[in-house]
Formats: sequence, structure tokens, C-alpha cells
Amino acid sequence: MEELTVVGKSVTRVDVQEKVTGAAVYGYDLVLPDMVYGKVLFSPKAHAKIKRIDTEKAKSYPGVVAVVTGKDAPWIHGEAIRDKPFLAQGKVRYVGEPVAAVAAVDEDTAQAAVRLIEVEYEDLPAYLSPEDACKPGAISIHEDFASYRKMNFILPGAMPNVCEHFKLRTGDVERGFRESDIVLEERYFVPTIQHAAMEPHSAHAQVDPATGKVTIWVANDAPFRALHEISEALGLPQENIRFINPLQGGGFGSKGGLKVEPIAVALAYHTGGRPVRVKFNREETFISTLVRNEAVLYIKSGVKKDGTIRAREMTIYWGGGAYAEKSPTVCIRGSLPGPGPYRIPHVKVDGYAVYTNKPVAGSFRGYGIPKVAWACEQHTDELAKRLRIDPLEFRMKNVFVDGDVSYWGERLHSVGLKETLTKAAEAIEWGKTSPSVRGLKIGKGLACIQKPTRSPTLSKAGVIVDAKGEATVLAGTVEIGQGCSTILSQVAAEELKMPIEKVRMAPLDTDVIPYDASTTSSRSTYHMGNAVRRAAIDAREKLTEMASPMLEGKKGDLAFADGKVFLKDHPGMALPLGEVVRRKLGADGTVRGDASYTYELAKDLDLETGHSDNASAFYMYATQAAEVAVDEETGRVRVLRMSAAHDVGKAINPLNCAAQIEGGLAMGIGSALHEHMIVDDQGKVRNPSFLDYHLVTALDLPEMIPIVVECPEPEGPYGAKGLGEPGLAPTPAAIGNAVADAIGIRIYDLPLSPERVYRAIQQNKKKVA
Amino acid sequence: MNKKIRVTLNGKRTDLDVPAHRLLLDLLRDEIGLTGTKEGCGTGDCGACTVLLNGKPVNSCLIFSGELDGADIVTIEGLKIGPELHPVQKAFIRDGGAQCGYCTPGMLMMAKSLLDENPDPSDEEIRFALAGNLCRCTGYAKIVQAVQDAAAELRARRA
Repeated sequence: MEELTVVGKSVTRVDVQEKVTGAAVYGYDLVLPDMVYGKVLFSPKAHAKIKRIDTEKAKSYPGVVAVVTGKDAPWIHGEAIRDKPFLAQGKVRYVGEPVAAVAAVDEDTAQAAVRLIEVEYEDLPAYLSPEDACKPGAISIHEDFASYRKMNFILPGAMPNVCEHFKLRTGDVERGFRESDIVLEERYFVPTIQHAAMEPHSAHAQVDPATGKVTIWVANDAPFRALHEISEALGLPQENIRFINPLQGGGFGSKGGLKVEPIAVALAYHTGGRPVRVKFNREETFISTLVRNEAVLYIKSGVKKDGTIRAREMTIYWGGGAYAEKSPTVCIRGSLPGPGPYRIPHVKVDGYAVYTNKPVAGSFRGYGIPKVAWACEQHTDELAKRLRIDPLEFRMKNVFVDGDVSYWGERLHSVGLKETLTKAAEAIEWGKTSPSVRGLKIGKGLACIQKPTRSPTLSKAGVIVDAKGEATVLAGTVEIGQGCSTILSQVAAEELKMPIEKVRMAPLDTDVIPYDASTTSSRSTYHMGNAVRRAAIDAREKLTEMASPMLEGKKGDLAFADGKVFLKDHPGMALPLGEVVRRKLGADGTVRGDASYTYELAKDLDLETGHSDNASAFYMYATQAAEVAVDEETGRVRVLRMSAAHDVGKAINPLNCAAQIEGGLAMGIGSALHEHMIVDDQGKVRNPSFLDYHLVTALDLPEMIPIVVECPEPEGPYGAKGLGEPGLAPTPAAIGNAVADAIGIRIYDLPLSPERVYRAIQQNKKKVA
Repeated sequence: MNKKIRVTLNGKRTDLDVPAHRLLLDLLRDEIGLTGTKEGCGTGDCGACTVLLNGKPVNSCLIFSGELDGADIVTIEGLKIGPELHPVQKAFIRDGGAQCGYCTPGMLMMAKSLLDENPDPSDEEIRFALAGNLCRCTGYAKIVQAVQDAAAELRARRA
């Protein structure tokens, strides 16, 4: 194989200069000429009929341009299930649901007019936990559910409010339990948390009065999905809708889908062609965009004395909030590998995505895996304890290796899991115990995961080489902070054999940029990396064709290096690529390469068994290990050090890999120790601010040890897999296992707040006494 | 009620006629068009809007414009030293201190203010100084590293 010159190097981020000077323009910064300002009236009720809305006073308030309600925007959108109105129609389903919106000459005027809108509600019973919402006799949160348009993979449940029922059936779990020496059953719980990207949500929209074309400026990480969804809802052809992406200040899953966009569009139809800006403040971002699913997880396993796992049964209730959004697919792709990366002959999983009267759950970094890992990986430690086997040894004995057939029927390859286990454990001196000091109990724990990516999906890309010898990459992957613009620039530079400084990324505008499914699921390096690589090769081949007569050599005798093309035998007579373009096409000429990449599935998951012989384009494997100190007096858990070994296939940019892992760890540690969106018995979020919702600060973090493992994926570009999401997936479980090791008590619910740990210690003392 | 104020903004004398209750953050972003200063919460909890007011770091979302007559204000747009990036900006580029970059301007202003006061901070002192600046992407490790590197460069320049 040719030596790589740019790929595999820790090159500087290509987008960082504008970020450190303040020049970068984010969605929240965008100013459009002649724009008006939108504000929203949010539902104060968790579940209620709307008896009456009176907007007259708001409409006549000086400076108001438009007031809209669900009647003015009779549209419904949704990806997996089309269930969500642009503005509430007839009823509200959670506290924070947009009910009406005002556009005015400035934000203060719009806000003042919002306060003049009168709404009369009639309360309905509200369901604030997924288990309550699907009990027999519960009333429907969506009365018209049966008539909603649904994707073909959706299997609605027989119980009330279940919008998706995922089933996995392998072997015979009852037989497996009978054959086991030890059977253990437990219940775990993961609460709702919020993405809390530092940039709050916003959207700008404009409707061209002449053509009817709808343009939306928004930092959305899946602009093509959003375009499709708006097109379907409005009944407009896709070419009549355009998404333009300003820079995105973080997302972590929250900025896909439609949140502020429908409100901006609804208003834009009533402003006489003026653009509308709708900005959510931090509180509005907390209550009315997207959150992470809460999950109730029941897990039961049977093991033999020899340390093999015979059977595992899981029932998972994924609390989805008021609308389906990503919950059905989180349910599918989170429940499928829910039993963990282990060889188990008898497996049964039932995953239920359940509507509740709470904020809408969307995708969140990890896509279900952090929740199933919290249950499965602590359960695995409890089994190891009962078998008197070291948790690391127990995992090494049972985890997937190359060639294993998973319990969903897929033969696995490129499984770097064992290497991640060994390296993560080594990094925190696994097996070496630290003595307790001054009321602090010290413990160690680890957890491992396997994560699929969204499949099948399509990425298309273009690469343009101009007469200056510079390249422009056209790719629909969104720079959300993860570094994709650098990674894709490296790929293009590698294939065109030019310095990375000569490569730039085109701005993202759906009118000109080729299709990409989404910037989600850690799919971009693999899918878009492949597409950009192929497009660059396509451009290179065209340049080869053009240069061959100029250099008087056969195409096969040409080679590229340093932005030049030359005959292999005469490297001294090199032509700069720009000159090749100029000679053939003139000073304004360009050469364009195009390509697409998709991973074809042989067949979809079977709806009755969950089986597939290739459920994912690739799998990500990771192990994290934690050492913690627990203060028995206060219940406070401190993470002392934490390692994270991630199988990335091939590190295109090792520095960026370490950065992604560290960021994931920080988010994982926050979700383990203190993050929790608290919803009261009226369905109201009690801590929608950074004062009350505790994000980790620079003071809260331990020594972090990122470890890159490279077990190449043959289909991936240069062997790469994905990395963005798994960084936080095993973190809470590893910390939970370390806490259990330290104090000898298993804690089943997140977060591991001082209060919860303190109570567990006190309760245990009572039990022992 | 509008108020006439005269401030020094990024080294330039600037006369403004603004509503007294307009927040400094909104004054910078909406009236003057300097959007490098970011809004993350509007309630003084995240530090994204940090600017230097008379040499001290403040959350610009908590300052009324009416109080600013005679003030010296430095924002991210004024952090460069002449045409050259400030060492802390260069260190953020080199060390991977920015990911999505939304917290970066506030983080840089806070880091500059720390280094003005304490040219040789420990890791702990850096973490303490930056504890009011939230970042959701990086896990802070590379930010702390960048501030250390910038401190070293500044010390070398002075020596």
C-alpha cells in the first residue's frame, strides 16, 4: 500500500482559525436583511384539550407583524412516524409544546404580544413515566395514532401509547434459565438528560412571495432529512425548499429533526416575504427542543458455574415524550445490542418506545447504548461477583471475537473489543487495589460496549479542482464540532496528493451540495469519508486523463505528489495540478469528481425476530475503566482517573480522536454523577438552566486517559470506523461498577448523586444491622 | 430610555446612543454587530459571553449599557496583538482547544485575563479560573493544556 501523507496525521483543524477570532458565524448569530423576530407561547399543561385560543389582542399590539396558531399551520411532520404538528392542534401533549407564535419588529414586542394571547385548556390525565403510559386502560396521548403515516419498519405495540415494539428472539430463554446454575434479575433506570449544546437553538425562515420557495437557515445536523420532512409536511416539491447551514455550536443529536424550524416556517408564511428569526433562549431550549430518552430496563440472565452466559432476557421501556421523533429507532438500535457484546445462545428482548407527556426525546450521542450499557454492564459485574470471577476475566471469556455470530444472526469481523478491554484495564492498573483513606472508599470498575451505526444510508460528495491547483470538497456532512471538515479535507488531500492547506470545504446549502443522510450515528468518517475519497479519486482520474498527453506518457505511468503530476520515471518534470487544469480548460476551468457511497443491507431486520445478517455498516467497540473515591459521610463520588480505549478502525487524525474521546468522557461523567432533567408531578421541568442543571466544569474532571485502538474495517476509508458517539456510552456503567467495588453496594438508578449514594449507604447499614 | 455613552471598544473610542437597559451582550451583538461574543444562557451561568470590562472578565449578559460610560471594553475581536493572534489563540489552534468553538471566545477572554494576573498558573489554578466557562465538547483537557502553552510562550517573550 502507498504511504499515507495526510491521513493518520494530527493536522490542525481546518475550521479553528475563525473560531478563535470570533469571525465564525453560527446559527444564533445570523442576521438577515429586513428580518422580523419571532417569539413563542408554550403550553403550561402536560396534557390538555385546547378549548379556545384568542389572539385578537396580540394581533392588534403595535409592531406585531403576524400571529399564528395550529389553525394557520395545518401541517404534521415526523420521520419514523408522522405525528407532530408545527404548532399544537386541538390539544397539547407536554409542558413546553409550542401553541402559538408572534412575529414582530423586535423581540421585546413579540414577547409582549405573546403574553396577550389567551388560551383556555381542559386538563387530561398526564403520563409522566413510560411504564404508566403503557399500562392497560391508559388513555391515548395520540388518539389518531392508527392513521399516522409510519415507516415500514415500525411495529406498533399492542399496549397503549407504544409507538414501536422491537422484538429479538434467539433460542429459548426459558430453557437457557433452566440450564443455568445462577439466575439473576434486576431493574435499572436512566433519567432524562439534555444535550445542552452551548449554542441554544434557533431558526430563520423566509417564503418567497413570487415563487413560494421556502428557505430555512438553521444549524441542523441533518439538513437533507429536515428538507424531506418539511417537503412532505407542506406538500411542496423538494426543489422548492432550501436549507442553508450556518455554523453549529454543538448538537450531540439535539439539532437534527425539526424543533424551531416549523415555527419559523409557520410565521414566514404570514410576513409578506420578510425573513423571520426565531431564537430559543436557554430555558426554551431545555423544555421545547429535544432531550435524551429516559429508560426503564429489566434484565435477567442465567449463567453456568464455568462462567459462560446461557440466557439473557431484557424488557426496556424507552420514554419517548410527547412525539415519536427518534424514539422508535433509538428503541430498535438501542435494544438490538442491549444484551451486550457477549456470546449468549438464548436471548429475548422486548423494547417499547412509549409516548409520555414530557419533552420530546430525540437522538442523543450514543443512541440508546449508554442506557442499555448502564443496565447490562452493571448486571455483568453482579454475575461475575456471584461466580467469584474477576469482572475483566469474565468479560474476556464471553465477549465477541472475530468470526462469532451475534445473537441477531450476524457474523462479526474486525472486532477490537478484547484489545480495548486489556488496554483500558491496564491504564488504571487493574487488579492493584488502593487502600481506603480517611473515610474515602476507593474502587475500580470497567464497562465495554458494541455500537452499530445507522444502516443503510447514503452519502454523496463532489471534489472540484481549479486552475489555482486548489480543491473544494462538496459534502453534506455538518461540522458540529466533531472535526469532520478536517477529516474530509485530509481524505481529499490524501487522494489528490496535495497539501491540506489547498483544500477547502464548501458551505452547506442543499441547493448545491449533494445529498447526505445525516451527521449522526458516528457514520460520517466511514460513509462520507468513502464518498469524498471516491470523488477525489474520480477527479484524480480526470486529471490523469488530461495530463497524460501533456506529459507524453501513458496514464498508468503517471503519479501524483505535492500537488503535482509527473511521469514515474521523470519526477523532475512535474506539472502542478492547477497548470493541468489551466492548459486544458483555461484559467477559469475546473475539474469535478463525483461519487457516492452506500452500504447495502442484504435485508432489513426481521420484525418478529430482530434477526439480520448485516444490521450495521460497521460496529464500534470500546471499553472504559474508572477509579473512584466514595465519601461515605457525604455520598459524594469522585472519579480519580478514567481510561477510555476505543476501536476506531484507523485514526485519520489521532489528535482529533483523543479530543472526541475526552469530550465523550466528560459528558459521560456528567451523566453518571449529576445530570438529570427533573420533571415534577405536573410535567414541568424544574431545572431548565445551567444554574440548576449541572454540567461538568473544568474543576469536575479527573485525569482522562484516551486510548486509540486500530482494528481496521475493510470497507472503511483507510480502515476507519466511527468514534463520535461511543465516548460516553460505557462511562456511567464503568463508574457504577467502580462505586459498587468501593462500597459494596449496587446502585441501580442514575445519576450517582451524593444524595442517592448517601441514602444507599444508610439503607445498607440498616440492612446489615 | 436612551442614554449617550462613550466607551473604548477594542481600543477605539466609540460614541453610542442606546437604551440604558440594553445588556452589554445585546449591545455588542445586535447594535454594533460584533457577534464573536456568544450568548449561551443569558443568565450569567455559562461564561460564553465573557468580555473584559476595564481589564476584568465579566459576563456581558449581566451588564446594563447605561453603566458603561467611560468604560474600556475588550471583546474577542480585540484580542489580537496588532495583526498577530494572541498566544492563547495560537495555543488553542495548536493544541485542539476548540471543537464546536461556541464557548471558545469566552474561554479565550477568561484565559487572557488569568494570564494577565498570573503568568505562571498551575493546572489547578487554570481549572479554577475557567470553572465558570462551560464547554460541552472538549472535556477541558486540551483547553487547560493550551492555556499552559500560552503561558509558557508569554513568559518566554517577557524573558
